[in-house]
Amino acid sequence: MNSAAATSSALSGVGPPDPALIRIRDLIYQVAGIFHPDTKLRLLQDRCGRRMKELATQSLQEYFEFLTVRPQRQAELIALLNEITIGETCFFRNMPQLDALRQIVIPKVLEARAKLPLRRLRIWSAGCSTGEEPYTLSILALEEATRLLKDWTVEVLATDLNERSLAHAKNAVYGSYSTRNLTPYYRQKYFSLAGDQLQVQPHVRANVNFSRLNLSDDAKMIFMKSIDVVLCCNVLIYFDLSSKRRVIQHFYNNLLPHGYLLLGHSESLYGVSDEFRLVHLPGATAYVKGERPQSGKQVP
Amino acid sequence: MISAEKKASLLGRIESLKQIPTIPAVLGPLLRYLEQPVEDLDVQKVTDMIAQDKSLAAQCLQMSNSALFGNWQKIESLRGAVVALGFQRVADIAMSCGVLRLTPTECSGIDPVVFWEHSLGCALVCRQFARKISCVDPGKAYLAGLLHDLGIIANLWALPQEFGAAFELARRERIPLHEAEQETLGFNHCDSGRLLADRWELSPELREVVSSHHSSEEPKEHAGLVAVVELSDLLCRMTRLNYGFIEAREVSLLEQRGFAVLARECKSLATFDWARLTFELDSYMDEVHALVRAIYR
Repeated sequence: MNSAAATSSALSGVGPPDPALIRIRDLIYQVAGIFHPDTKLRLLQDRCGRRMKELATQSLQEYFEFLTVRPQRQAELIALLNEITIGETCFFRNMPQLDALRQIVIPKVLEARAKLPLRRLRIWSAGCSTGEEPYTLSILALEEATRLLKDWTVEVLATDLNERSLAHAKNAVYGSYSTRNLTPYYRQKYFSLAGDQLQVQPHVRANVNFSRLNLSDDAKMIFMKSIDVVLCCNVLIYFDLSSKRRVIQHFYNNLLPHGYLLLGHSESLYGVSDEFRLVHLPGATAYVKGERPQSGKQVP
Repeated sequence: MISAEKKASLLGRIESLKQIPTIPAVLGPLLRYLEQPVEDLDVQKVTDMIAQDKSLAAQCLQMSNSALFGNWQKIESLRGAVVALGFQRVADIAMSCGVLRLTPTECSGIDPVVFWEHSLGCALVCRQFARKISCVDPGKAYLAGLLHDLGIIANLWALPQEFGAAFELARRERIPLHEAEQETLGFNHCDSGRLLADRWELSPELREVVSSHHSSEEPKEHAGLVAVVELSDLLCRMTRLNYGFIEAREVSLLEQRGFAVLARECKSLATFDWARLTFELDSYMDEVHALVRAIYR
């Protein structure tokens, strides 16, 4: 026998995954909409392991009970979701999604907007955390300023609930972890040295408007108007189903008829909305504002 | 626009092709034997049939030890594989190993490793999709997914240069391969596949899959199986299980012809979780790469 078996067993681990881990995977998908494929199960197990250490729990089955039947289950679920999404934020985080945005989504939006008099594109980073995502979007817009977006004004709206995150974002200074995906080209063109860190240059910052917004605040959400693209990555996972539905309904209303909603990697709206239509882009998925009413394709 | 004469001449080259390999001789009798009711099947007989082809048997054993086929224990013998994985699974594995030998060693444009990664990936997605919607047999879906692009193999053997040009156009423009073939050859790999499937006397359902998975018209028979392959193939092409390039377009699976066909036949499709099926593809990726590369080494 050659190395195939050895390779595959190395990839698969020494045995079948713990059934409790599969139940935790399904629970996370059900409540937060984030799916861990088999290749990411070890990562999920590590993240559970950190929480289990904190709780002095020995088995995944017992930890599953912490997440489902113990009194503090809601808080524990949030703690686990925090572990799962920790360290996710960085510049150019999801390259296939950004490529799809640049190559497919924006051209389609521009085509639809050509019928409208105002040549303005509004992209909303909903739950922008410390600002890496909206600045990445601003950089992409600048890269296309003389080509695809020639004669267009691009406005990046960036909102978050957390004041400290917003202060960090406005300061626009980042360490090596946040900037790990930056190529030398982008580093040189759009950043300046600030000690041993990097600061986003003013012309990138000029396109981005930061503001504090709670996505659950209905009274404020209705003022987000005429949006072309919403990016909302790893934010909805913290909402319960009814809040999630309310937020998604707002996004639907905030978007123009041709608008797109982009979620985080392996994040889905299954069971949450039947108004958005799932589409496949090269290496990524997105949701397009559909014509309502739609015939219940997504919600069971 | 390609002339009718040119198109006829190219198709004629596929029909008169002599050097194309056939699927290993043991596979035909094996697949026919496995069509019997499972209670009539004999483990030793299946083992003996596969063992006639030594290299096929060795590759089967490699694949049997992959988690892709649901195995977590080390399997030491072919008989052990049949017992642990079941007849259908072993037939799937034998077929996968068998077909991987079908591409020429020198391919124009398309990398045979990437081509088989797409086919094997498509087979796995077809099986998973069929299991979830419960109205197409998962075993048949697997085989159909594995062989759906038989026409590309025919093109590689009969029209290496012309197919190479079509592939290059698809890769450069990031358009679907069958559209590039249509433009440069006047037909696509479904037409080539039909000729090869007839010559190999494949089952009527496989012939339908091979010749109709890109057709704009609904197949008269086996439409459900063809639809499963059409949608799974599209899903693979839009993700990392593509032909080595990813098509630059937006696709809605719900607007495909295959979706309309399945929606009539499968009630569960109304609430089907397409996003999850897409994310599950990531689970296969590393294993598919490892297996195909190991067999090609």
